[in-house]
Amino acid sequence: MAVAAIETVGLTKTYAGIDAIAELGIEVHQGEILGFLGPNGAGKTTTIRLLLGLIRPTSGTSSIFGFDSQRQAVDAHRRLAYVPGESSLWPGLTGEETLHLLGRLHGTLDAAYRDELVERFAFEPTRKVRTYSKGNRQKLVLIAALMVRPDLLILDEPTSGLDPLMEQEFRRCVLEAKERGQSVFLSSHMLSEVEALCDRVGILNAGRLVDMGTLSEMRHLSSLTIQATFEGTVPDVTRVPGVSSVVVDGHLLQCQVHGPVEPLLKVLANASVHELLSREPSLEELFLAHYGALSTRPAASTAAIDAD
Amino acid sequence: MAATSAPAATAHMECPRELTSTRRVLPFGVVLARTSRQALRSGAMWGLIFGIYTALQAVAYTLTYKTKAERLALAKSLSSSGGLSALTGPARDLQTVGGYTAWKSLGLLSVIGAIWALLLATKLFRGEEDAGRTEVLLAGPTTRRAATVQTLVGLLVGLVALFACTSVLVALIGRARDVHWAPSASLFYALCVSSGAVLFMAVGAFTSQLVASRRKAAAYAGAAVGIAYVVRMVSDASAGATWMHWITPFGWIEELGAFTSPSPTALLPLAGATSLLVAATIWLSGARDLGAGVLRERADARAHTALLGGPVGLAARLTGPTITVWVAGISAFGLLLGGVANVAAKSLEASPSVRAALARLGGHAGLVKSYLGVSFLTVTLLVMLLAASQVTAARREEATGRVEHLLVQPVARARWMLSRLALGAVAVVLAGTLAGVFAWLGSVSQHAHVGFFDLLEAGINAVPAGLFLLGIGALAWSLTPRHATACVYAALVWSFLVEVLAGIGHQSHWLLDTSIFHHIAPAPAVSPQWVGALALVGLGALATALGVARFSRRDLAGS
Repeated sequence: MAVAAIETVGLTKTYAGIDAIAELGIEVHQGEILGFLGPNGAGKTTTIRLLLGLIRPTSGTSSIFGFDSQRQAVDAHRRLAYVPGESSLWPGLTGEETLHLLGRLHGTLDAAYRDELVERFAFEPTRKVRTYSKGNRQKLVLIAALMVRPDLLILDEPTSGLDPLMEQEFRRCVLEAKERGQSVFLSSHMLSEVEALCDRVGILNAGRLVDMGTLSEMRHLSSLTIQATFEGTVPDVTRVPGVSSVVVDGHLLQCQVHGPVEPLLKVLANASVHELLSREPSLEELFLAHYGALSTRPAASTAAIDAD
Repeated sequence: MAATSAPAATAHMECPRELTSTRRVLPFGVVLARTSRQALRSGAMWGLIFGIYTALQAVAYTLTYKTKAERLALAKSLSSSGGLSALTGPARDLQTVGGYTAWKSLGLLSVIGAIWALLLATKLFRGEEDAGRTEVLLAGPTTRRAATVQTLVGLLVGLVALFACTSVLVALIGRARDVHWAPSASLFYALCVSSGAVLFMAVGAFTSQLVASRRKAAAYAGAAVGIAYVVRMVSDASAGATWMHWITPFGWIEELGAFTSPSPTALLPLAGATSLLVAATIWLSGARDLGAGVLRERADARAHTALLGGPVGLAARLTGPTITVWVAGISAFGLLLGGVANVAAKSLEASPSVRAALARLGGHAGLVKSYLGVSFLTVTLLVMLLAASQVTAARREEATGRVEHLLVQPVARARWMLSRLALGAVAVVLAGTLAGVFAWLGSVSQHAHVGFFDLLEAGINAVPAGLFLLGIGALAWSLTPRHATACVYAALVWSFLVEVLAGIGHQSHWLLDTSIFHHIAPAPAVSPQWVGALALVGLGALATALGVARFSRRDLAGS
């Protein structure tokens, strides 16, 4: 069996007696895209920094293609590239110089692909880093990571600051990487991004992995929020299969629907609906609905884990 | 139909008490509180150092020149030396404690104060802007000009702290029977010492408006200090150029005549220049774009990738210009030392007690070598400052998170840290060696007859202290990263103060051993103690090794 791209066993990081990450056990298979979801302060960035060997675990181990993240960091880093959500680069270097430096350091630069990426992301490499906007700085680190064609891409909220067009380009690049057999560890709090790209999803909350599986296995998370305004009386939908969290405020009805929406639509069709809105619940709503009981990290601990 | 579930969704949220209250943080207080806190701490610390240094000079004088005859001989011998005046400023009223103290302290402290002030000003103006914190504050109910005024007031708090701490300590020593100067004279002296800081703080604030990076703003302001100092040197060295005193801030400070012939008139150009710079700073801060400077830089630049192949090359690219300025400055100082050595030694010959003191240092080496032996301790100080700045620059790479881009590549932490420290070590070796070479060139130009190898040795003799401090800095950085800068400069300042204390009289051997300077022989007055120097280098290497080992095993720490 092929060695895992990423494997953590009982990985724990404690700050001032509070677990930022507790007993984390995850595995990313080769050629797989794993989405790593969680609200702010869940421990996503802390996990990534542990994987990269930038911080030391309190207990447990992590490895990249079998190389220990701490003791064999250099060997592990030969196989990966990393994109942080916030980039602090050398302001006096130009984009081209930065790409040259990072490519030379990694040692596996694909110059033709770099030039292609520069074009696809509409990036201007001749400018100095200090003159780049946040979005352009993010493009720079994305290109730097993709151009070395690493076996593993570790992406920490990689599209922050990118416009929708560039987000689409980013998604295409990640899917191309997957086609070439590269593995991707994508940390995000954007459900749509994760849904569009990932084979499996892990959900982190308050430093603990609370769910992990394929998207179909986690279908129970994908409830819809329905909001309907009626001209007359609001119908009773509490007994409709799949409907929950029903709230009525005057002529306004709001509820959650898990699974098929057809039974609810049948009930609504018999009432005089003035306006009907449906939307996917935000990740925050999903957490409140499914993991509220687990979200018990004290406020102080969230503040302490400033990396996230 | 009533709601059947999730009642919380329709219920009105009851606001916590603290949110409903109308307690407001006044916009004026936000920036002011931030800047004044930093400036106060820094200003108070430097004020204490200035006060202690001044007090030590006064005490040293009373202990060294006990009789009136000795004091008059000293005054006579040093009052007409143009070369020495260029270096230290004109010697006035050296037959008095105040005159000697002002001569020994004012020139040095006003330059240090100027550098401190410009670094603080550029940090709190352009440094905050570079870090993006100014943008966050400006999103609040304030304007750029109002924020600039607040920052200036915050800096003023630092200046007041500098003035207050200096004046209190100087007034205290003035109460000593042998010193005996009036409290008003102490206040005026502290004002003179602080006035360089006032003006160059305004210069730093102004250059922060001109250019779009803190490094450049500090470099421009630093260049202004350098030019002002050179003009002051020229005006003091030549009798025909005294008018030049009135075109340099350091000349104005000398004209103030602290402890000798107080002349507050010279405060006028200082106040005028400061006011103009402050007004220009406030106006420009509102007239330019945030994140940009008044002087437009080209956004595009041709790529220079020759050095960008690894951590060492990157370090050279990032710190090369700064190191070049340091090395050039220390070399120039060496040239100056060599150039004035002959004249200074001849002047000192007239003073029996100074001659005796220098002879104790140099044995039979002659007064020129003895004078250079003492003076080269300043070269050692500069080389150590260079080493400290290299530790600070390396730590900054970690604090800003930039190093993470390197350490997620196949680059071991030890390799990166060692490459930074190695570059610092090369800079230290280069600076010390060139100081010796240029001192010889200076001495040759004045027919001082000091051997090339003597002065080369004297320059190399400064290197171990720098390498030791580099090692200590590396250890402090790895153990307590957020306090590394404070630790390395504290070691430097402590060593310097103990060395000054050593000049006063007999001190505890334990105390003297804590000073790095105490382990450096005053070459070329005496031969360098190479065994001791090697031990110092060895200890520095050990500290570096421990630091690298620790750095490889700890969490990276941001700012």
